Amino acid sequence: MIRVQQERFDAGVEQAALVAQRNDIGAVVCFTGLVRDFNERPDVTALTLEHYPGMTESALGEIVAEAARRWSLDGVRLIHRIGRLEPGDPIVLVAVASAHRQAAFDACLFIMDYLKTRAPFWKKEHTVNGDYWVAERDADRQAAERWRR
Amino acid sequence: MSLTHINARGEAHMVDVGDKQTTRREALASGRILMQPATLALLAEGGLPKGDVLATARIAGIQAAKRTHELIPLCHLLALSKVTVDFELDQAASCVHVSALCRLSGQTGVEMEALTAVSVACLTLYDMCKAVDRTMEIGEIRLQAKSGGRSGDYRYDAGASDGVGPPQPSAAQPSAAQPSAAQPSAAQPSAAQPSAAQPNAVQPNAVQPNAVQPNAVQPIVTGECQEGCIGIAPRGEAPCIHVKCLAELRERLGVSDLEIPFEALPTPDIAGLKSALTARDARFAMLAESRVLCAINQVMSGEDSHLTDGDEVAFFPPVTGG
Repeated sequence: MIRVQQERFDAGVEQAALVAQRNDIGAVVCFTGLVRDFNERPDVTALTLEHYPGMTESALGEIVAEAARRWSLDGVRLIHRIGRLEPGDPIVLVAVASAHRQAAFDACLFIMDYLKTRAPFWKKEHTVNGDYWVAERDADRQAAERWRR
Repeated sequence: MSLTHINARGEAHMVDVGDKQTTRREALASGRILMQPATLALLAEGGLPKGDVLATARIAGIQAAKRTHELIPLCHLLALSKVTVDFELDQAASCVHVSALCRLSGQTGVEMEALTAVSVACLTLYDMCKAVDRTMEIGEIRLQAKSGGRSGDYRYDAGASDGVGPPQPSAAQPSAAQPSAAQPSAAQPSAAQPSAAQPNAVQPNAVQPNAVQPNAVQPIVTGECQEGCIGIAPRGEAPCIHVKCLAELRERLGVSDLEIPFEALPTPDIAGLKSALTARDARFAMLAESRVLCAINQVMSGEDSHLTDGDEVAFFPPVTGG
């Protein structure tokens, strides 16, 4: 299940929904990304997340489908927020269920690495000294690169 | 004109498409279901006994498009790359406009799939609402546009007939002997009937491919960017490419959306589009930066990717989500 939304989400609720009425799931890995109050500049007061409606959903769908091809998964919840967010707010949730932990850990990491480099979201950070668009990071590109095959 | 689904002995046969060139094909179909204003109000507020009507009808339409070959005898089984079904609630006309877009890269057209999706989405709307309204009426199901393939582009021409008469194929493309000629005409009789009996005849422009879904959450973007529109230009416009600039690029260029005539492109690809844009305004030279990415109809694409009339091309910086 993939959602792109403005509203806050509750990781506990999402994880519970993922495993509800299932006794065949042996592992759930749940990653939540949060807004930091520092990034390229200190004193980040808020950020605005822009996306490309339509393409966003299909790009996320492809990433999850690719994860499901590579690992044996019993469920994925992927939520990405858009709009204005403040430090401490959750931005993204990736919850992956599988029979065994290795697949769940790997698939969760894979989905985040691909999301960071392939899903059309852009962050604009607001600081006490003005606004700026966040630049892409080479570390993110390299993290995604390692899944190539 | 000959019917391609009939052979020399007058027997039905399936056209061999094996030797036809693989091209990107798209078809957009539309229709509408008239209902009592009270029914439409219930639908809008989600008060109908069977639950989420539009979501159900959308899935029904998508499923139907995928199964068209099981319903229409001589239709090929197609690997559709995209099916979208959209609804627009029209209080003024007391109806729901339904539109469906189908796309694939293949050797045969997708208009039957789009028409089937609209038909089944309308039937599902009827089923979901019939507990409160039996007077609903389905109509005006027609092919709005198709592109790709040997028979060329077609666009329903409502202007010539006030949306009443049978549509004409676009002038540039003689329709005789086109492989799919029998298919659009199958949709025409329903287009010819409606409006005399119906004060609520649909406006020609009422069903746009990017019709807003009233119940959907509005997309959040910091600038003015509409929900991704579909790769078929609205009727009556000259062939053009729809260009979007997103995020930082939009702010640096000061441009969110623009259209550029297809004929302005020296070559029908991304490189050609960039040079046409730069010729129009020197600021677009920054599109040549290697970090600028682009997507055609919301799919990541490269410099030599081919463009066709009505494509949506977005330029944007590297992504920074998560």
